[in-house]
This record gives sequence, C-alpha cells and structure tokens, in this order.
Amino acid sequence: MSHTPEVLTLFIINILLICFATVAFFLSVRIVKKYDPKSSTSLQYKLQKESYLTSVIIKFLFFIKIPLFLFFIFTLDKLSELITGAMCAAGVVDATGYGNYLFVLKILNLYLFALWLLLHERQSSQEEPPYFKEQYLFFIFLYLVLIAEFVLEIFMFEAIELDAIVDCCGTLYSNATTSYIGAIFRINTPLLLSFFYANVLLLLFAYRYKKSFVFSLGSLLFLVIALVSLIAFFGTYIYEMPTHHCPFCFLQKEYYYIGYILYILLFYATFHGIAGFFVQERKRAFKAIIAVVLYTAIVSGYVLSYYLRNGVWL
Amino acid sequence: MIHLKNVSKSFMTGKKESIEVLHSIDLQIKEGELVILRGASGSGKSTILSLIAALAKPTSGDVIIDEKNIAKISDDFAALYRGENIGFIFQKYNLLHNLSVEQNIMLPLIPMNLPLELVQQKIQNVMEMFHIEHKKETLCAKLSGGEQQRVAIARATVNDPKIILADEPTANLDKKLSLHFIEMLKELKSLHKTIVVATHDPLFFGLDFVDKEIIIDDGNIQI
Repeated sequence: MSHTPEVLTLFIINILLICFATVAFFLSVRIVKKYDPKSSTSLQYKLQKESYLTSVIIKFLFFIKIPLFLFFIFTLDKLSELITGAMCAAGVVDATGYGNYLFVLKILNLYLFALWLLLHERQSSQEEPPYFKEQYLFFIFLYLVLIAEFVLEIFMFEAIELDAIVDCCGTLYSNATTSYIGAIFRINTPLLLSFFYANVLLLLFAYRYKKSFVFSLGSLLFLVIALVSLIAFFGTYIYEMPTHHCPFCFLQKEYYYIGYILYILLFYATFHGIAGFFVQERKRAFKAIIAVVLYTAIVSGYVLSYYLRNGVWL
Repeated sequence: MIHLKNVSKSFMTGKKESIEVLHSIDLQIKEGELVILRGASGSGKSTILSLIAALAKPTSGDVIIDEKNIAKISDDFAALYRGENIGFIFQKYNLLHNLSVEQNIMLPLIPMNLPLELVQQKIQNVMEMFHIEHKKETLCAKLSGGEQQRVAIARATVNDPKIILADEPTANLDKKLSLHFIEMLKELKSLHKTIVVATHDPLFFGLDFVDKEIIIDDGNIQI
C-alpha cells in the first residue's frame, strides 16, 4: 500500500471525476434510449437540454484528465523515492503487474476522450447532427473504460509494497533486458533515425500537398517511431549517457522536466494528425505539423548540442 | 411561413412547480402578413414572440419557420437564424445608451462581416427611412422617447430581416408618437415584411392594413 498525499489526491480527484462521469453516463443512457429527433414532446426538449449538460461534463472530464495524467506521472516519480530500487517512475510502473496496463489505458483514454470531443465538435457544427445518439453511445463505452482505468489504478497503488525491492530503470531499459522493450535497443540506430526523419519529411510533404489520409497515417506512424527513437536514441543525448534509455527520468527536475514538453508535443501532434482521418481540417493539420517540427527540433537539438560541445557522438 | 404547431410553454417557478403560459396553441402566419397579438399582460403574447425569435424553446410542440423547426436547433444555429431572419423591437427599445445612433443601428451587422461600405450604406438607408439621420452622431441617452423608438426600428430592420417582431412597442409612447409608429408599421408592411406585434394598446385594434388580430387569453388563442 502506498497512501502518500499524492496518491490520496489522485484518488479523491478520480472519485470526483467518476461522480461527474456517472451523471453524464446516466444522461447518455437516457438520450440513447429515448431521443427521437422527429418528435417534439416535452421529453425530447428535456433530452436536448440534457445533452448540452452531458457534453459540458465530458469536456470538463477531458480538461481535468490532461493535467491529472501529468500529475499521475509526477506521483509515480515521487513514489520512486520511497520504493527501494526504483530511481524514477519506471520502477514504480514495473513494481506491480498492473502498472504497464494502467499506463497504456490512461494514454488510450485521453485519445478516446479527445476523439469524443472532436466528433462532438463536428456534430455541433451541423444543424441536424446525423450521429447525435451515437456520440452518447460512444461516451457510454468511454465511461466503462474510465471505470476500468480507476479500478486498475486502485489495484496498482494498493499492490505496491514499499519494502519490496524493485528493478530500477537502468535494469528495465538496458540493452541486456530480455523483455519486449529490449527489442527496441536491438534496432539499428541509423535505420531508426532514417525512419524518424523520413517520417517527419512525409508529414511535411502530406501537409504541403494536402494529402490528409497520408498525413493521418504518417501521424500514427510518427507516434510509434518517435517514441521508439526517443527511448532508443534521443533519450541518451538528453541524459548524456549512452546506456541510459529510461522514458521517465527526463521528466525529473535534473533534466528541467523536458520530458513533459516532449510528451505533450508528441501526443498533441499525433492526436491532431490522426484526427485528420475523421475530420479534414487544415487548421488541425497545421497544429499537428507545428508540434511535430517543434518536437523534432528539440530532440535533434539535444544531439547537435552534445556534438558541438564534445566533438563526438555518443 | 410561421407555424406554431401544438405549442406549450411552461416556466419553472420552484423546484418542482411550474406554470404553463401557453397551452397547446396552433398559430399560422403567412409571408407578408401583419398580425396583431392582443391580450392582457401575462397572457403569453411575449412568449409567442420569444418562440418565433428562437429566444426560447417550447416545452413541447413545433415552431416552424419556412418549413424548418427552429425549436429543435441548437443555440448557435438559433443565433444565426435570428441574425438572418429576425428584427426585434423591444418594449424598452434595449438600446445601448453610451453608443451613438449610428453605432446602435450597426450592431446587428457586426457578426455578418460585411464590407464597411455596404454596412454604411445599409445604415444610411434605414436612418433615412425612419428620419433619424440628423441624429446619427448623438448618443442614444440624449434622445427623446420617439427618437429612441425610431432608432430601435432602424436597428431591427437594418439586416433586412424577413420577420419583424414588436413587443408592446408603444407602451412608453404618447398617442401622437404611437400613431406615428403605426404609420411606420404600414411602411414596413409595404416592403413585404412579415410583422407580428404583441400589444394591448387599443390604437392597434381595427386597423384596415392589419391582416389578422389574434386574441391571446391566459395562454390560449381565442377565435
């Protein structure tokens, strides 16, 4: 059990969010079951008003979930100070069997919520929204994922044993590890970098020539390639250590919290990029390309800066 | 053109109590008609105007304008609909007193993003039509009641709406100015505007150019 003030704060905020989400869930169920756009009974007008309330609640949930996700990582990082062996959030994530699943679920949930908002925005821009009921049906699914995320979070924090020894990130993300992460480090670096920069060029090309499908596909690819190259290559230049590949350590103060900026840029870019598959908007693609360029400039900047200062590559 | 179909409207007065101000009314107004809604205060006249202007939604029923049920559209689209189709003359005119006559009239045109020349031309046209151009630079706070009303009418017509709604337009005017307003209504009707006036002023009753007089009594239409 690890009931630190940060963990308790997470629990309390999550309980409040679940309360709001539950209201939105029941309203969504009512809308899905009873809304009829052709009817003009008092129930229909009431449901229409309730749909405004539901969408406001869902927007609220999303905008709280973004900083809450960052706070979750911060909490893991703080917790690493108490767990023997853990040097950063990576050790805490790996301390139980739930950590990795929870982490993936949290990221997935943020993407799903953002997708809901995107669909809602598109629906609201039409006088007679064609998928009015479907968007609330989608939220019912989202609610279930949200509950699963919260249950998993409770399980994870309850399963953490403060007196048990865990692996540090140096072990978890080393070249010698036999887990699936080890496969990342066996990728040929020049090949990986070629893929990374080719992917950036592909996105620039797709943006310039308005190839929205290529842009969406390229963005999805960029999410994977950027994460892999960050762990396998760029991260080592942030740490200035060729053997250190942890995806969490650069979230710490010693590295000026640069990890937060990189992850925010990466998720922001890829969300807006992938969203182009559903909504073809030039403005959205512009946001994505700006974030991609910034991300690329920052990670490349670390490599160049190291080379200029030391005259050698790592 | 305007069709209120089986429309009811209730307002909440407490946590569980509500008052029904319109009881399943049916009302049809054709394009270009001038209709007077007669009735005592609290009879539901202003509520009908609010529903036609999409300022409120009914509790049940349809508000169909040009074959579109405006009661079902979202607030954003309702605002768009009002900007394009409705000119509203309020009982207390609702002018911004620290703005000039010209600036007040300009207000409905701002969201339309029209070229400045066209905006100025439209303002000039309505100011001339309602004889207020000599006061264009004057602050509305310094205008008389009759002048304020002319500004209110000019503002309600500057976006060339199809429908003009007037809620107790002569409540704050003396008889002479009220008759002058009636003359202006006649002029608007000649422009083929659909006009709905909610009033209990007897000056409006029995006018030869009025197409229909509808009596509203306690939320019901009296035939």
